Amino acid sequence: MTRQLRSPTTIAFVAVVALLVVLPAIGSSFFVNFIMTRTLILGLAAATIVFLSAYGGMVSLAQLMLFGTAGFMFGNAVLEASPRGLNLGWAPWTAVVFALAVATAIAFLLGALSSRTTGIYFLMLTLVYAVIGYNVFAQVVPISGPSGITRITPPPPITQATHLYYAALLLSIGGYVVLKLVARTPFGLALQGVRDDPVRMASLGFRVPLHRALAFTLAGFIAGVAGLLNVWWNGQIDPASIGISPTLVLLIVAVIGGISHLEGAWLGAFVYVAANSYLRALPFVDRIGITEDRFNTVIGALVLLIMVLSPEGLSGVIQRLSNEGRRRFSRFSSRDGTGRVDTSGDDAGESPVVMIDSSTSPPTEERK
Amino acid sequence: MSPNAIMSSDREQVLRLRSIVMAFGRLFAVNGVDLDVAKGEHLAILGPNGAGKTTLFNVISGDLTPTRGTVMIKGVDCTSLPSRRRPRFGMARTYQKARSFPGLSVEDNLYLAVVGKRGRHLSLWRSGTDRSWREQARAAAETVWLTEELATPVSDLSHGQKRQLEIGMAVATDPDILLLDEPASGLSRGEREWLIELLSDLGADITLLLIEHDMDVALRVVDRVMVMADGQQIAAGTPSEIEHDPVVLQTYLGTGASA
Repeated sequence: MTRQLRSPTTIAFVAVVALLVVLPAIGSSFFVNFIMTRTLILGLAAATIVFLSAYGGMVSLAQLMLFGTAGFMFGNAVLEASPRGLNLGWAPWTAVVFALAVATAIAFLLGALSSRTTGIYFLMLTLVYAVIGYNVFAQVVPISGPSGITRITPPPPITQATHLYYAALLLSIGGYVVLKLVARTPFGLALQGVRDDPVRMASLGFRVPLHRALAFTLAGFIAGVAGLLNVWWNGQIDPASIGISPTLVLLIVAVIGGISHLEGAWLGAFVYVAANSYLRALPFVDRIGITEDRFNTVIGALVLLIMVLSPEGLSGVIQRLSNEGRRRFSRFSSRDGTGRVDTSGDDAGESPVVMIDSSTSPPTEERK
Repeated sequence: MSPNAIMSSDREQVLRLRSIVMAFGRLFAVNGVDLDVAKGEHLAILGPNGAGKTTLFNVISGDLTPTRGTVMIKGVDCTSLPSRRRPRFGMARTYQKARSFPGLSVEDNLYLAVVGKRGRHLSLWRSGTDRSWREQARAAAETVWLTEELATPVSDLSHGQKRQLEIGMAVATDPDILLLDEPASGLSRGEREWLIELLSDLGADITLLLIEHDMDVALRVVDRVMVMADGQQIAAGTPSEIEHDPVVLQTYLGTGASA
């Protein structure tokens, strides 16, 4: 356990969290309340895409629809004298529970429906869910507007922009830790088994479709949490915000960060939000044709560049650099020049060099 | 029952197949096979490529539902029971091409095999029970000589080690009925000797069904042999009877090989 706590990954995680906790004290209001809050919200939503893909082998395009569903449900439930929506006038935290319950229930239903499909078929089915979701909110006016629901405020005690930042930070950390821990539970390991070989998992006694459906449900719940943060931050939600284009943006965020690393979701979100906010402010960019209208072209080029450099996204680049750093450090700390790490220090137990005893190796010709 | 059905002794029957037919369109991969296997019996199913051996295994393990016929396991009609329900009857199998989970470690693969049999599939907690199941997984790793590779991702294992793991995953479930599909395929001579030793040391209560092209491996570890060709049984008997059966020699070695 002590070794786990001292691992470079844990140390980096704690350092990043510490920096984010003190950020409101050292960063500008715009950076904290616009760039970082939006990064945390988008990152949490994109993390559900990464979770389903990395642990379940399912690339979902329905996460933004579930994100939007929670937002719409909260707006309908909490408002009481708005010109738009159902105006149910419920207590804010009751509305939160209602919104999450609806998003989770829909996720379970859709997850169950698509649980027997994989690969491109699963992707297309979730695209269909996204299209249906958009059309439902665009056409069923009583629950979506017309033209969206406005004047949504966060529930108490989230009364200031900084409170919302901390709420997004807390829920992002919670979401990350939960998804990481789930991966090591019997359910999470079984999900990874389903990802690798569903036929083998069935022959071992597992109910493959149920695992897929429940993973989709968990991801839907977390996407719903991100959706709530989004309407609290935005103050409004309209059907266009969960259309095909934003759906693809969320996938792009996950791809930029790296679709096989959970951390990549927040990294990708930061790059996307920062590029969206700062690119147009750079000097002379308008002279080379980069204007606000061409932001998507720039993001497209950025995605292309990252994909060429590292198919595993930015987190893949960081992982490679980190591995290279460790390798160089190991070589540097070698004393006899043979590549063996000096194991006389305190960290001897963490030495990456494994001494293989031939008496315990698998049976070979020599064993006879 | 067909006249040349392979029948075992009066011991308790753990597996009974009757008139199994598995058709894919107009192709009859298995065509009217009857088989009785007694508890603790070791049976090899031999035959040339395309004889229907693996299809018969898939029918027994529930990966395929037969077009006609019945599959009884421990006296229960399991003909339409999906493969995921078969481990409850103490059945475990391996595949012709090693099928494990390359993204997980060796220990996690073996642990999943244990969880699959024991339950708690949807658990979000790691409990004391899990620790004992982990112990069981490590014991299986020791049985198949993979103790030193417990933390190794399966994607980093050699072909031979993957086959060892495949067998380990079957053994980890503490099975009553073990189905091994070409376990010696791709193994070196030394590894084959290890496999023979492992299969020979299986408990007296474990029923073994083995598909194997390596006659040396197959005939050294089984009590009975069934030979298939074109989806049908063409011979049955003890290993020594089969070794000298003219029909078998003809099927394996071609015309003029009756000596």
